[in-house]
Amino acid sequence: MSLSLFFHIVDLETKKLMSYRVDFWITMVVNLVVNLVILWALWTAIFAESGSEIIGGWDLPGILSYGVMVFLTGRIVRGGDLQMTVATDIYEGALSRFLLYPRHYAFTKYAQQVGNVVPDLFQSVLMGLVALPLLGLSTTTPITPLTVAMSIPTILVAHLLFFLMGLIPQYIAFWADNVWSLSVMVRFVTMLLGGAMLPLSLFPDSVQQILHWLPFAYLFEFPTLVILGKVDFSQWLTGIGTCLLWCLALGVLSIPVWRRGDLRYTGVGI
Amino acid sequence: MIKVRDLRKVFRVHQKEPGLAASVRSLFHRKWVEKDAVTGSTFDVKEGEIVGLIGANGAGKTTLVKMLSGIIHPTSGEAEVLGYVPWERDNDFRRQIALVMGQKAQMWWDLPGGDCFELLREIYQIPRDQYQQSLKKLTEMLGIGDELKVQIRRLSLGERMKMELIAALLHSPRVVYLDEPTIGLDITTQRAVRDFLLDYRRENAPAMILTSHYMEDIERLCERIIIIREGDIVYDGSLERVMREYAPYKQLRLHVHRTAQPQPELELLEKMGQVIECEPGSICLRVDRDKIPEVAAELLRKYSVIDLSIEDPEIGDTIERIMAGRTADSE
Repeated sequence: MSLSLFFHIVDLETKKLMSYRVDFWITMVVNLVVNLVILWALWTAIFAESGSEIIGGWDLPGILSYGVMVFLTGRIVRGGDLQMTVATDIYEGALSRFLLYPRHYAFTKYAQQVGNVVPDLFQSVLMGLVALPLLGLSTTTPITPLTVAMSIPTILVAHLLFFLMGLIPQYIAFWADNVWSLSVMVRFVTMLLGGAMLPLSLFPDSVQQILHWLPFAYLFEFPTLVILGKVDFSQWLTGIGTCLLWCLALGVLSIPVWRRGDLRYTGVGI
Repeated sequence: MIKVRDLRKVFRVHQKEPGLAASVRSLFHRKWVEKDAVTGSTFDVKEGEIVGLIGANGAGKTTLVKMLSGIIHPTSGEAEVLGYVPWERDNDFRRQIALVMGQKAQMWWDLPGGDCFELLREIYQIPRDQYQQSLKKLTEMLGIGDELKVQIRRLSLGERMKMELIAALLHSPRVVYLDEPTIGLDITTQRAVRDFLLDYRRENAPAMILTSHYMEDIERLCERIIIIREGDIVYDGSLERVMREYAPYKQLRLHVHRTAQPQPELELLEKMGQVIECEPGSICLRVDRDKIPEVAAELLRKYSVIDLSIEDPEIGDTIERIMAGRTADSE
């Protein structure tokens, strides 16, 4: 796929989403308010109940910063929540249109996914500017321009990894038609094991050891820890390298699944 | 341009009895049946030819089109389109074909046509000059211009179909599949689409396969038709031949002076052909094509005729009979 086509699709997807102004602003305000209230209520209660000022290496402003940052980076990594579109294309037969184009389907979908990131990125920056000053200063999370800059490549590779992790379960739609429940389950597992709900440092050591070898942590927790200044340069390089290796492995694995599934495609709906 | 040999497609379909108990049972055990959608089709289509693919719903027309456009894989058999195997989806092959689906919008619903076409220019890598020329020509031929700036979802069905046609033909495909391109359109738009397709064919000479339930589409656009019944090709030939072979008769209708001939003689008429109507003042006979001059002369001699007309049977009726597996003789 040519770069100009890739960016053209990104541009169109962005324009499409931005054309629904009411939806754009309501989504942003409601998401921010609901998440801030839940985070604040939950963690102030936990800190008050425990009576300690540090839990698992986090103070209250620090864990709240983590909660906000993982929410904001998570929105970018998930890229507009397109994770069901591939399965829907297969189920409804909309895939037929893409099969006619002289471009690979997965590349086209990824370009669409990137296009969906742009409004989320814009919203996340706005929400960050509003939310972070409200959380207070943390001694455990030193956010600096350098950490923000270092987080950009980690978010980019996390975005690709999230797309590829979602691709194979969605290809199951070639066999099972409706994979909604599977997608919800995958989403829940990736959110939990990826650190989108709470830092993985709060998990038992044995679980952390296992998670270290799995791709989940690189989706949400790793980019967030980079922003919060909790990752040094060598860990940052290793993290990006590991994430890219997982992308490669999942990308390669998706090819035979696609080929087998494609043989079963019936192109319903036309 | 299109070569099809013994192409076959079998679908595996899950069968479920109605009712809650059957739904519960199907959670544990499912009954699958094999359904032959296309059973060994063989035909060729030449450059510049428009072939009408006709059949009842579920006859296998669209499945055939889906295989020839590379959307689905066949169960067995061979096909070559422009020298490529369609379902291998070579990019060079896909740059030279188009599929218009009347029942399924292919354009981006939330975007104006202009944006969609720009994206297609990128997808098909159409040089800017060629793209602008094609777009100008196609929009002029279909009589749309201002609509290019309107979101697709806000257009009328007819305008949307015109956009679909432009989208499909922008890259000047050499093979075009049209799956019910006039479905749901009003008569004026249907006519405009037909005229457009004929103009396009005249200028570009692509091979076209058209499926439609509208006989007017077939009559206006196709010299040749392929009739499919339950996945099987039962007729492949010219429209003219279908009438000769499957409707070897014409209808001869007479209006006669009642006073001169109060009641026609039935026995005499039955010797001439099949009597459809025999009333005082009106006679209608179904007569073999080669006997028409002789019977007409006899009737003119016998009766005081006010008016005589010789009609071909409706082509739609004839094709419907073939699709249903009936012939004129069997009726």
